[in-house]
Amino acid sequence: MSQGRSGAEQRLVTPGMAIGPLSGMRVGSGAIIHNDEIIATKLGWVREFNGTISVDPINSPYLPRSGDLVIATVAEVRNNLWFMNINGSFQGLLPMSLAPWKVEFGHARQHMDIGDSALARVQEVDECHNVVLTMKGVGLRRLSQGAVVEVPVNHLDRIRGLNNSNLDRMKDVSDCRIIVGENGRVWIDGSEQGISWAREALNIAKKHGHKTDFDKLMSQHESNYVNKGDA
Amino acid sequence: MGGYGDIQLLREDGLRLDGRKLDESRPVTIQAGILPAADGSAMVTHGLNVAVAAVYGPMEAHPRKIQRQDRAVIDVRYNMAPFSTSDRIRPGFNRRSREISKVTAEALESVVLVERYPRSKIRVEIEILAAEAGTRCAGITAASVALADAGIPMRDMIVGVASGKIEDTVVLDLDKAEDNYGQADLPAGILPNTGEIAFLQMDGDLSPEEFDLAMEYNFKAAKEIHEIMVEALQSRYQGGDK
Amino acid sequence: MVELVPNLLRQELGRLAEQDARIDGRARFEGRDIHLETNCLYNAEGSAKVTMGKTVVYAGVKFEIRTPWPDRPSEGSLMCGAELRPVAHRKYEPGPPSPESIELGRVVDRGIRESGCIDMDSLCIIPGEKVWGVMIDIHVLSDGGNIFDACGLAAIAALRTAVVPAERFDVGEDYTLPVNGTPIMASFTRVGGRYVYDPCEEEELGGDERIHITIGDEGHLHSLQKGLRGVFTPQEFAEIFEVAQEKCAELRKIVAKEEAN
Repeated sequence: MSQGRSGAEQRLVTPGMAIGPLSGMRVGSGAIIHNDEIIATKLGWVREFNGTISVDPINSPYLPRSGDLVIATVAEVRNNLWFMNINGSFQGLLPMSLAPWKVEFGHARQHMDIGDSALARVQEVDECHNVVLTMKGVGLRRLSQGAVVEVPVNHLDRIRGLNNSNLDRMKDVSDCRIIVGENGRVWIDGSEQGISWAREALNIAKKHGHKTDFDKLMSQHESNYVNKGDA
Repeated sequence: MGGYGDIQLLREDGLRLDGRKLDESRPVTIQAGILPAADGSAMVTHGLNVAVAAVYGPMEAHPRKIQRQDRAVIDVRYNMAPFSTSDRIRPGFNRRSREISKVTAEALESVVLVERYPRSKIRVEIEILAAEAGTRCAGITAASVALADAGIPMRDMIVGVASGKIEDTVVLDLDKAEDNYGQADLPAGILPNTGEIAFLQMDGDLSPEEFDLAMEYNFKAAKEIHEIMVEALQSRYQGGDK
Repeated sequence: MVELVPNLLRQELGRLAEQDARIDGRARFEGRDIHLETNCLYNAEGSAKVTMGKTVVYAGVKFEIRTPWPDRPSEGSLMCGAELRPVAHRKYEPGPPSPESIELGRVVDRGIRESGCIDMDSLCIIPGEKVWGVMIDIHVLSDGGNIFDACGLAAIAALRTAVVPAERFDVGEDYTLPVNGTPIMASFTRVGGRYVYDPCEEEELGGDERIHITIGDEGHLHSLQKGLRGVFTPQEFAEIFEVAQEKCAELRKIVAKEEAN
């Protein structure tokens, strides 16, 4: 997410702060127009891209969008559906018809019980923030092993890196399978040592993901793992 | 406002008992992100007042009867810790905290873009750890910084400030003695960038001219405190970028 | 609000336990860094702030003058209460004090009271007429795990810095409250089948029952509490009791060091 954040130009704004005159610019997320001026609505970095001014927030709640790959945890089970916690304001609903199994009415619980986690996709979000999930699709499944780590959603781009470069490096070093959910949950599966290294890498992202020395810290962490392996 | 009989609040040299000028605030410090369990948080010290705010959400509004189909509700709890005042306060809600919670919530709902989060609630918890006159204002300031820290969108922040009257003189930011023995108190919540007012209370006795001067002082203080709020938010996240 | 416990978390805590590891990289009986600050609040006659990992707790001491109980005319009183207000975590809801916050306050109260570090007779102003009531209020601001130890530490540290406000009540000169001892609590939670010291948030979420042990300066027990669903063996208790002795001695040094400053 290095676009528009080069060197001296980066500017950290707070809600209500004037970013500049509208003068032909479009306004993206994290900003509004007030009296022909662009006003920040969030704490974050000002970004100008293709004539659009927006604010990349430092901190942001997860707002589900249709198509999002999410890691969900079952919170409630009914005869024919699951209510799943997706780290958002509202629970997502997974109807029996969108589960990957042939489920008989009243037997939902045998397939997925309270506390179980799954890889799901957001099928639909309506105006009132009702979320419908689906588990029909390639790779969507119940997660029966591995660990889940929560990270701020606005750091996901940094964790992935350009063209997934950071994520690929993390997978290589830890020799783990890693899946990033758009809802700020990352699933890691591999050896105990690999998982704990990847967890620590994500903790670094949590603490330092908004800073420019993030990449440097990650490289340091990488060499730590190599050293341990050699010893 | 208590009576003002024998108590002298202005010195011979025209300064106030603690040496402040008429239009001078007590010192203010602000820290953002001090409570790791919260989605956003802040601590404000204003003179000897200590106010802490935590923000949770947006989350589904419960109980259902408070839910609004078209926007989020802001659920504010202003609470004074039992040890925050000179006589211990029995824990629990009282009429004063309920009123302050209500008007604070309404003030914050005027700046937060609540229409973005229908059926949701945003919890704002304000805890006063030490009270020395002016806790509701310190609480509003802390709540604004905590909301920004939590990434809740707002069209402006709110700065809590107060002016008042002692010995027939308008002064900025009453301390405890001035509050107890003064003639008027005018707390306000000011939007620093638009110059609008989202919170206003007053008690005591003020002439129209005195009100104007008191508000002028309030706007001046809001500008000063807003700079500290911005600094608190920026310094938390700018580290490592230098 | 009952928190959702992900099964993957419980599984992982179990796997880590097999390798004698913890989710945050600590050793089994290793505590988190503790930061203690005393005399930090105006208006409280004694105060302390404790930070342990993501946990932040304040304690404040207040005094009041009351009439003694008729059968104990020369004894003052001590009361310790805790509040788990919604500020501290998403899981806490507004309303009257929950059983959890009452338990927390009472466990801390017992540890301090039963250690005898406050001589109740020293709180007498006029026998049969006026005695001091000492009130310690604990305020949890951020629950990042093991609030019991943080509250116990904040309470005794606040008490040990308290000044009796005799002048304000017109009963003589202010004086430092005599406190003869530093009772300290050490808490253990069963995580992945075995007890760990100073559990973090995730360990509490995916763990089982807990045991709180308060130990006085001479190594004697002053309060015990077993909480949550689960059982333990005498051998398990013997092991953590030994660890608790060591941990309490370390924490007592932190209190002494803060007082020396």
